[in-house]
Amino acid sequence: MAYLMVIDDDEDFADAAAMVLRSAGHDVQVELDTESASERMKEKPPDLVILDVMFPEDPSAGFKLARAMRQSGGEISTVPILMLTAVNTRFPLGFGPGDIDEAWMPVTDFLEKPVDLGLLKKRVAALLGQSEGPAVP
Amino acid sequence: MTASDAAQAAGYDLPLPTGEAPAARAAGGTLSPESLLVRNIFWFCHLRWMVVAILGGLGILGLFPQALAYAGLQLPVDWPLAAAGVLAAGNLGFHVHARLLRKSLSSFQAHLNLWGQIGFDLVILTAVVHFVGSLGTSMPFAYLFHIVLACIFFSRFESLLITLMACVLYMVCVLAEQGGLLPTTGMYAAALVRGHIELTPGVFLLNVALALGIWLTVWYLASRLAAMVQARDVRLAEANRRLEAAIEDRSRHMLRTTHELKAPFAAIDATTQLLMSGECGPLPDGAAEAVRRISARCRRLANEIQEMVQLANLRSHGQGPLRTESLDVAEILRWCIAQVQPLAEEQKVVVEARLDSARTKGVDDHLKMLLGNILGNAVVYSHEGGCVCVTCAPAASGNAVVTIADQGIGIPESKLPYVFDEYYRTNEAVRHNKQSSGLGLAIVRHVAEAHGIRIHVTSRPGAGTTFRLEFPAGETDPSSRVPEKESEHGVPDGYR
Repeated sequence: MAYLMVIDDDEDFADAAAMVLRSAGHDVQVELDTESASERMKEKPPDLVILDVMFPEDPSAGFKLARAMRQSGGEISTVPILMLTAVNTRFPLGFGPGDIDEAWMPVTDFLEKPVDLGLLKKRVAALLGQSEGPAVP
Repeated sequence: MTASDAAQAAGYDLPLPTGEAPAARAAGGTLSPESLLVRNIFWFCHLRWMVVAILGGLGILGLFPQALAYAGLQLPVDWPLAAAGVLAAGNLGFHVHARLLRKSLSSFQAHLNLWGQIGFDLVILTAVVHFVGSLGTSMPFAYLFHIVLACIFFSRFESLLITLMACVLYMVCVLAEQGGLLPTTGMYAAALVRGHIELTPGVFLLNVALALGIWLTVWYLASRLAAMVQARDVRLAEANRRLEAAIEDRSRHMLRTTHELKAPFAAIDATTQLLMSGECGPLPDGAAEAVRRISARCRRLANEIQEMVQLANLRSHGQGPLRTESLDVAEILRWCIAQVQPLAEEQKVVVEARLDSARTKGVDDHLKMLLGNILGNAVVYSHEGGCVCVTCAPAASGNAVVTIADQGIGIPESKLPYVFDEYYRTNEAVRHNKQSSGLGLAIVRHVAEAHGIRIHVTSRPGAGTTFRLEFPAGETDPSSRVPEKESEHGVPDGYR
């Protein structure tokens, strides 16, 4: 069992993802904004973060939190991040691990919304097995 | 409200647009190195080096008095070389001044530099006019160069001052010659020709008046035209700034709209998955089927939104030049095949590839969209157990040639001309796959048109379709990748 943090402003989606991950045996904390998530993970660092990109106050809050985590220098800096996004006008087929660039996109893996919850469970399991480097899709 | 609440209360007034033009707000500020005024300073300096070379050449020519005398001319060595030396030293000073202050050159300093250059030039020019011949030659018309340049660089009032300065310097020169303060010189060897005009006051006055009249007329015409061009430049620059701001705003709006439209579908989709997976308890068969339909429709709508946004973005890209780079088409195809592989496995379709490296110039994202859409269609419209064959190779012409062939449902000949139209779907395609938006090949068309990619489609209903794509030839050596520009809202352009 791992301690996971789902950070997404869409409560319905976050709850659905949390329910599936809890049924897989994980302890899941849902946070609806990046500021409270940042505070919460300082109290108890998660084993994995599932992070949305766009938030109502800042369309790049997800990217900023990911960068802040990597630059924090503490235990949080090595926590794997699975990024979710509803906006990807780039390709019809979604992101790939090859798109991850440590300079501006310091995340471990991507999933594009709408998310197949079965696939989400598999990715989470894979990432918990390897805490460094992108997961193979 | 408690006292502490009142202390924390903060006010905010929504700022209203002032209608003030950005150009007006920027007036008096620091100039960017690329600004027109700074470029003019350096251009003017470069131009002066040519004049220095011409004067130096004249000085060298003076070393051959016999040859000059044969042409009826006389030219001492001293004044051309002295003028060239003074001009070179001054030019160096102006150039160094502009270069030292390049990054922090204010509008005032730039004006001062240009004023200094023109004033300095006029003094040197007057000396040259005196030595070449102030009345008997056409040399005084060289003042017109500076009058016209002043009209371009400065306001009408400033250019008039320059024109008057030229008139005054010329008058001083000819009057000093007439009054005997300066000796009458010139390049004509015959003293009679040099002195002829000075002997007749009427001709002297007519010549001087004509010269001054022509300069003032040229100033009037040039400054008026320059003012009109400058006014149009300002209007164009303002329109351009507004257009760029509108494009950026539109892009940001599009990004936000996409998110706001797709995010609810993602939530609905996740919830239907919970229902179907039994997380919320078992569902009767009829209810499970209804939930499955809701889920399928959700995904289709989300995909349609995605494709509409892609198409809109491609259209907006079509308004400006593409940021192309040298790309290996085979690499892009490998990426697309990897992306489509899970779908192919689900549909029990085999993707076979024979890919040789072949380069083209283009936008990586756009070519991935183009090839991804064609490849995705080939898989989707294949029959179970079918094969999609992908090849890539450079043709003899050097152009990269790609073929993507399937053994799927095919397209009737009469319908082929319409498959690249937006929202067009053949009845056969709708029967085979209800999930398509009809925008995929419209996206392909836009990318192909922007990149100059020739596409040939051959198809036989029931037997399959082949897309043959011929890309424009790219560079042999891969160029360095164009870095992704991170847009104002912090999301890199490609990742919207």
